[in-house]
Amino acid sequence: MSHQSSIRDELEAAAWRHHWAFARRLAGKRRPARPQATRRSPESQPTTRKKRDSLIWQDRALLIISAVLLALLIIRVETAEADGPEESFFGLEFQGKAAEQRAVALDTGIQVEITGLTARVEVTQVFSNTGKGWAEAIYRYPLPPGAAVDRMRLEVGDRVLEGEIQEKEQARRQYQQAKSSGKTASLVEQQRSNQFETRLANIGPGDEIRVSISFLASIDYRDGSFSLRIPLTFTPRFEDGQADIQPLMFAGMAGSYNPAVSPGQFPIDDHRLTIDVDLRATMALSSIESSYHDVDIQPSLNGYHISLTDPDTRTDRVFELAWAPEFGTAPESTLSSFDDGEFIYAMLMLAPPLAEAISPQSREVVFVIDTSGSMEGTSLAQAKAALKLGLRFLGPDDRFNLIRFSSDSEQLWRESVPAYTDYLEEANGFIDELAANGGTMMAPALGKAMNLPEQDGLLRQIVFVTDGSVGNEQELLLQIGEELRESRLFTVSIGSAPNAWFMRKAAEIGRGSHTHIGRLEEVEDRMTGLWSRIENPAIKNLCIDWGMDAEFYPEIIPDLYAGEPLWLYARLPQEPRQVTVCGELEGSDWEMESRPLEVSGSENLATLWARSKIEALEDSRVFGTDPDTVREEVLDIALEFGLLTRYTSLVAVDKTPARPGTLDLESENVPSLLPAGSGMTSGFSGTATGWLAQCLLALFSLLVATGMLLGAGGYRSPMTSSVA
Amino acid sequence: MKKPGHWLYAAVPSTAAFFSLLLLVQACWIPVKAELAQWLIERSWEKTLGGDPDSRPWPWADTRAQAILSVPSRGIRQIVLAGNSGRNLAFGPVFVDGSPNSRDRVISGHRDTHFRFLEFLQAGDLIRLTTRDSAKWYQVRYLEVVDSRFRELVIDPGLDRVSLVTCYPFDSLQAGGPLRYVVTAMPLEPRLQPIAENPRGLLQAPGPVQSARPGR
Repeated sequence: MSHQSSIRDELEAAAWRHHWAFARRLAGKRRPARPQATRRSPESQPTTRKKRDSLIWQDRALLIISAVLLALLIIRVETAEADGPEESFFGLEFQGKAAEQRAVALDTGIQVEITGLTARVEVTQVFSNTGKGWAEAIYRYPLPPGAAVDRMRLEVGDRVLEGEIQEKEQARRQYQQAKSSGKTASLVEQQRSNQFETRLANIGPGDEIRVSISFLASIDYRDGSFSLRIPLTFTPRFEDGQADIQPLMFAGMAGSYNPAVSPGQFPIDDHRLTIDVDLRATMALSSIESSYHDVDIQPSLNGYHISLTDPDTRTDRVFELAWAPEFGTAPESTLSSFDDGEFIYAMLMLAPPLAEAISPQSREVVFVIDTSGSMEGTSLAQAKAALKLGLRFLGPDDRFNLIRFSSDSEQLWRESVPAYTDYLEEANGFIDELAANGGTMMAPALGKAMNLPEQDGLLRQIVFVTDGSVGNEQELLLQIGEELRESRLFTVSIGSAPNAWFMRKAAEIGRGSHTHIGRLEEVEDRMTGLWSRIENPAIKNLCIDWGMDAEFYPEIIPDLYAGEPLWLYARLPQEPRQVTVCGELEGSDWEMESRPLEVSGSENLATLWARSKIEALEDSRVFGTDPDTVREEVLDIALEFGLLTRYTSLVAVDKTPARPGTLDLESENVPSLLPAGSGMTSGFSGTATGWLAQCLLALFSLLVATGMLLGAGGYRSPMTSSVA
Repeated sequence: MKKPGHWLYAAVPSTAAFFSLLLLVQACWIPVKAELAQWLIERSWEKTLGGDPDSRPWPWADTRAQAILSVPSRGIRQIVLAGNSGRNLAFGPVFVDGSPNSRDRVISGHRDTHFRFLEFLQAGDLIRLTTRDSAKWYQVRYLEVVDSRFRELVIDPGLDRVSLVTCYPFDSLQAGGPLRYVVTAMPLEPRLQPIAENPRGLLQAPGPVQSARPGR
């Protein structure tokens, strides 16, 4: 203690020596008439020195505090509010009386059937209640984007719950009934669309829980390769390949989520994973690869069968399968079909020729960019980067133009110009000067782009960049349908909450494609993808002769681009004999016959057809079809094919009470109503400004700063008086 | 009078004071803007009612007035805007994208400006939503706190309801937390509909409705 204080004394003395000159100068300036104050040596006036010391120290501390305060203030003024990171937990979460977390053995089996651009994924997971009491659990599974669970089977001990697609209203009534008859305590809550969640009740001690769910996932296609990602890790935000092992968690407190658990807490030896993929290839493949797992690949009747090599695989990382088609020098077309007894469901695949086999066509590219107020900040930065990248891709024979719009619209040139250096520089300057302000009046800008003077023999491609905050989608889509003529529309949506539906539809009607850029870092990747796509239109104006009355989707057949196969789904009254595809290849008419595949397709073909039909029906609502008629028709198909739509839900009701009456359980028998993932969903927005906190902070710092200013004048009076 | 001293002793606190003032103005501007904007929007709403569907509150605005939300028992009358963006939320409550045209409407607002009143809503309170085409009474049925990390909003065209969403807890000084307070109101049965509306759009809640919210 004494040692410490002596050190402090020394430090103070040092500080005093250091500041002595400064203090003297201050004192001297203030009281030039009292030189004796400065003449006194510190040693001879210990009491005075102490006082001075403490005062100087106070002063320095205040200076430091205010400097820190200043830094904080500047940061505060500069920064906007940032949202906290989002976390979620996947697996089975027990909610019992005991508060401790318990781990159980877990087996996961995954069966995948890939048809066209869709995969039917079936996940079976086995858990066990290792606790000593009856429990309720929440089961969560991460879903790939856009997927929704439409089939389900839950086995708890010897009970079986099966999922059933029902009309939403009916499901709701049934749920209410079950509830009022005292069978349930569950809440119907909305859930995130990227996860499946269901509650399991009455899980006895030692019970085995077998959860089996099935969903349709879409296949990604980029840079000449298909890929399917199945999230497997039960960790918050499964990231590519690198994951902590957090297989399973039991939380004791009902309603508490507990995503942060250290991996070491669980025995992980028992977590086995098996994956079987049935890849129904309708064309030759050049490669099949699994990104993070070792796999066995066997040719089969349908195509390929892929399974995991290591029987000891754990569920600790994403399963990603990628395969690349092999394109020939000429377009190719295959046909597979499935007979359900009443109808034939057919899938027609069109494979374009190799990009090298097509002579490139020059184009006219019109860039349309949204500069409305909502684009302010990163959105506009992304859009600018995307446009500039687009300009770099133009070839010497291409022509181009630029249009920007907000409340008004402005075009750079009256008529599109060749992509010469001078023009490109001018365009870059134009892009640099764009600023976000005003409303979003899309129609006039699109009109301008679609009605530019025609360039002889050049295909016009409109690249439309916006954050998509529109209110009059219907009018815009109609306008595009009417005015686009031979042009093609490519939509690029920017930012976090674009109106994806509108952008996708606009591109569909415009026979182009939709690209979404979520972050600035994605611009390069996505725009390059878009460009390599639109540079090589292989076959335009496609048409198909099924040889009979066929109901096929999509109704508007897009162009066929190099490196990108195309699928059409049809329902036919009888087995197809001769299906002819026609179109325009390199400026002249082209025609070929489809080759039927020997192996018949699976019932997934029917599902895929039904899904495309429902989508077309839903779209027709935008173009004025009576909503009630649409609802009826969609409902019919959804119930027939067992599909989730906005009018149907998946329902599971547990019918067998299992709990012995003597044992107490906090939760009752729970039927769960599972909300459809196909409804329109939205995240929550940040709904607090924090202005009060900011106000308080400002007031506080103002107070301190004022105190400092006053203090700077005031501190000397005691010092000088003591000196005197 | 000139104050003596090292220049830092004056410069640092003065700069701090300057930034404090700047911050203060910036902070206080938020609630002031929220009030002012509603007033400007009111005019564009009248134009909207007059038949101009694209009337904007101010020429460079990227939003439109779409409905009036009133809670007579709390003396609340606010104009709901289109476009669920942070920028629009500063001016008033907004419809979550996709919901203004469906029967299932979700409106979000800042908990420390427009939607401050949600804290005081109770089950049974009446809410009136007036759009260009209709005016309808809703009754508050559910009040719940949800975690936005685990839930998202589902707009269900099969349901007729109004949900009001704001951040939670109400008194938290920190913005940007994961919790949201959701007030769900279902249509009021026709026989309970208030008959007359006073000119200011503010009403007394009719008799039969009682608050059912415990602990308040």
